[in-house]
Amino acid sequence: MKRDDLKVTPTRRDVLKGLGATGAIALGGLSARYAQAQSAEPIRIGFQLHRTGIGASYGRWYERTATAALKVLNDQGGINGRPVEILFEDDGTDPRRGAEVVEKLVMQARCDVVMGTLFSHVVMGSAPRAGELRVPYLVCSEGHHVASGALNRWVLQPGITDVKSQVQSMAPFVTQNLGRKVTMVFPDYAFGHDHRDFFTAAVAAQGGEVIKHIAIPPTETSFTRYFPQIPRETEVLYHVMVGPSVLTFVKELGEFYGSGARPQLFGFIDSLEAVAIDSPGLEFLEGSHFWEGHPRYRQDDAGEHEDLYRAAVGVDANGASVTDPRDVSTYSHMFSVWETLFILKRAMEAAEYRGPADRQAVVEAMEAMTEFPEGLEHPQGPKLFNGRTHQAFGLQSISQVRNGRLVRVHRTAMEDGFYPDEVDYTTMSF
Amino acid sequence: MKLLTLIAAMALAPGPAFAHASERMVIQTLPTGWYMLGAGLAVAITALAIPFLRHLPKVRATCLFERPRLLPPGVTNWLAFGLFWVLVAVGLSGTPDPKENLLPLTVWTVIWVGMTLAVALLGNLWHDIDPWRAPVGLLRAALSRWLPQKGIGLSRLEHWPAVLGYLSFAWFETVSLAPSDPAHLARVAASYYLLVLILAVLEGEDWPPRGEFLNAYFALVSRVAPFWAEPRGDRLRIMAALPGWRIPTLPPLSVSAMAFVTLVLSSVTFDGLSETFLWAGWIGVNPLEYPGRSAVMGVNTAGLVAVWAAASALVLGAIALSLPGGRSRHVAGPLMLSLLPIAAGYHIAHYFVALLTDGQYVLAALNDPFGRGWSLLGLPEHWVSFGFLSTRSGVLAIWSFQFAVILVAHLAAVIVHHSVWRGLHLPQTLTAQLPMTALMVAYTILGLWLLSAQTIG
Repeated sequence: MKRDDLKVTPTRRDVLKGLGATGAIALGGLSARYAQAQSAEPIRIGFQLHRTGIGASYGRWYERTATAALKVLNDQGGINGRPVEILFEDDGTDPRRGAEVVEKLVMQARCDVVMGTLFSHVVMGSAPRAGELRVPYLVCSEGHHVASGALNRWVLQPGITDVKSQVQSMAPFVTQNLGRKVTMVFPDYAFGHDHRDFFTAAVAAQGGEVIKHIAIPPTETSFTRYFPQIPRETEVLYHVMVGPSVLTFVKELGEFYGSGARPQLFGFIDSLEAVAIDSPGLEFLEGSHFWEGHPRYRQDDAGEHEDLYRAAVGVDANGASVTDPRDVSTYSHMFSVWETLFILKRAMEAAEYRGPADRQAVVEAMEAMTEFPEGLEHPQGPKLFNGRTHQAFGLQSISQVRNGRLVRVHRTAMEDGFYPDEVDYTTMSF
Repeated sequence: MKLLTLIAAMALAPGPAFAHASERMVIQTLPTGWYMLGAGLAVAITALAIPFLRHLPKVRATCLFERPRLLPPGVTNWLAFGLFWVLVAVGLSGTPDPKENLLPLTVWTVIWVGMTLAVALLGNLWHDIDPWRAPVGLLRAALSRWLPQKGIGLSRLEHWPAVLGYLSFAWFETVSLAPSDPAHLARVAASYYLLVLILAVLEGEDWPPRGEFLNAYFALVSRVAPFWAEPRGDRLRIMAALPGWRIPTLPPLSVSAMAFVTLVLSSVTFDGLSETFLWAGWIGVNPLEYPGRSAVMGVNTAGLVAVWAAASALVLGAIALSLPGGRSRHVAGPLMLSLLPIAAGYHIAHYFVALLTDGQYVLAALNDPFGRGWSLLGLPEHWVSFGFLSTRSGVLAIWSFQFAVILVAHLAAVIVHHSVWRGLHLPQTLTAQLPMTALMVAYTILGLWLLSAQTIG
């Protein structure tokens, strides 16, 4: 092989330079205003990070994505010409600690806003404190808690769709392509119940039917005895098992069906987020379908922004760390951190943010936003933002496991994920 | 009412669930049950076969080589003293991220995990980096005129202050809300340091090895080490023996030392147990939506103490069953020495994954200690990586190491037990061996089960 034939992988620094240039061009007209920014004092973003506790493996990738996004943001000139800092504070994936962290970030570290929380119970525990402190609290959680109206006006989820929208938008594809008689296997608690309720209703609306619900106790370690409950006429088996028994679940399901006929399998990548899809024991998933928030494997039609995003975060074409091909990222969720940071930038600039006195204006500016186009700031895809419910809506991917890789076979329509508003936060006082 | 509403809202909060790739996911697919059976059988057969051996091998330590001391005594202790306060300053004013701040990384990974492993292999290295030793000596010399001649009576309490210290430490690590928060940890560490400094200055240099928990802990763990250094004038003799071989030569444990050893063993056991689905089920918590430490603080505090009580009762009960008629009272002290290899071995196995993961954060933090983008150790960006936890080969390698450590620790414990037993000229009957043998087999299996069970997070 000649030396010239070697492919030169761009270094991270090159990529970031490139991103900076892209940003500078995109922002061209605004640069004059940046130069006039009155204060060079950095904008401080408090990041509530699941560094320890059960969210730690997600936290690691959220931190990595946020750090990468921050570099791009600052290379583009920061926010309103001011440099931006992120302060990561560990919440231990605990709601009480979460509330303490919000307070610490706002009162001690004098952060302008707080963002980044993933786990729902931490969001629920922290949101009231954010409301009391009157600080914008931008969550990256995927939970339906924001749009359900359970929180307050200071809490927004602009960077990721919620689980209700995700689950519901799967129904048209499943009923039209995989089958109309569905059996659902889910863990027997709130998460599984959400899937049960949202999907059962959505399938019925599409003219299909969920013929059996099989609820599995959360502490179950073996699943063989549940499989005979799957009705013979089942055309689609919808599975959303999570936790350390997932590999066992798939392995035993494979043993149950053997090489004979089986229903179509449809799952949520939450089950296998950060798990290599070609892990031993997952062979039975070959040919099955998954919801993905953001396709883990680089798709053939990926745009430039997708490649720039991967390079900046340090993720290869298989969704794994560039330094370790077995270290799979939480790819379907972590884009939300990136996108939220850029939405915050837009909102702060629209509100001409100068200091904590303008926090309310940031929330109002965000509520006034309606659309986020796909691009460098939104690599996962375009989104619509509902200012009344404080929730973003977007496109979902359905991928099929082919040769141990996830290949996108369908992208939902925006309206597949719509549902009637359940709250209007804009009518609430601050 | 507000609180009730919040709790209800949290319980009903619709939301996603997040699994993650941990070694516990892959290990569920490994035949760990056979390993447990094999290890249990190996310990049982060893324990039951030993009474039929006429002689146990004699304790023989070999001097590998001699070398001069590299530094005058106390220099490393002064360095450790300085480093401790630098780390406290880093904890107070450095990054709040516990995986980047060198204070929590040093306390929880370098000292608690790494130092235990080092001391269990190489002898009591803590002695040389004990940050109290040098300043206590200096202060006592300087203040000798005003200090009470016979101390303040702490020595009469034997190991009890260390028991209290260790229990507080174990609670802080396993149960409290934010043990890794750098600023919080800095305040706790500095307060504890000053408390011990004052007490040691008042009581004397001989007090910390028994009364201060870190000194007491490392002194006990060091007894299992296959290598150690013995000072001889200004030279050091580097010695070697089989792991745990020196234990039978130790003086019997006092009641407070017995309490300390059982606490060491049971606190790490509880740390493992409290992470399992089994424990979550017992305390009525759904492990798949674990509510966080704040929700289980009370029950886990009770659990920590209960496991300690249960472990102490089981060990004392087994010894009592071995020697009925009140004869066990005087032999519990020497016989409980056999728990030392188990305590050290389980600690190493339990924290091994933390060493492999958080150890990377330590190196990454040293690579760029001030977050300036430096690469002092030449580590590339994104160097920290946990891919090995989700591969079959990686998990099998980790499990094999843990299995070997647990097995060796229990075999050493069995041999120590018999060696002490013979030294006490106790009856060599099978019935006398059965209770302790059953306990050691059970603990072998429990240890391996804790390392392979489904865990939260």
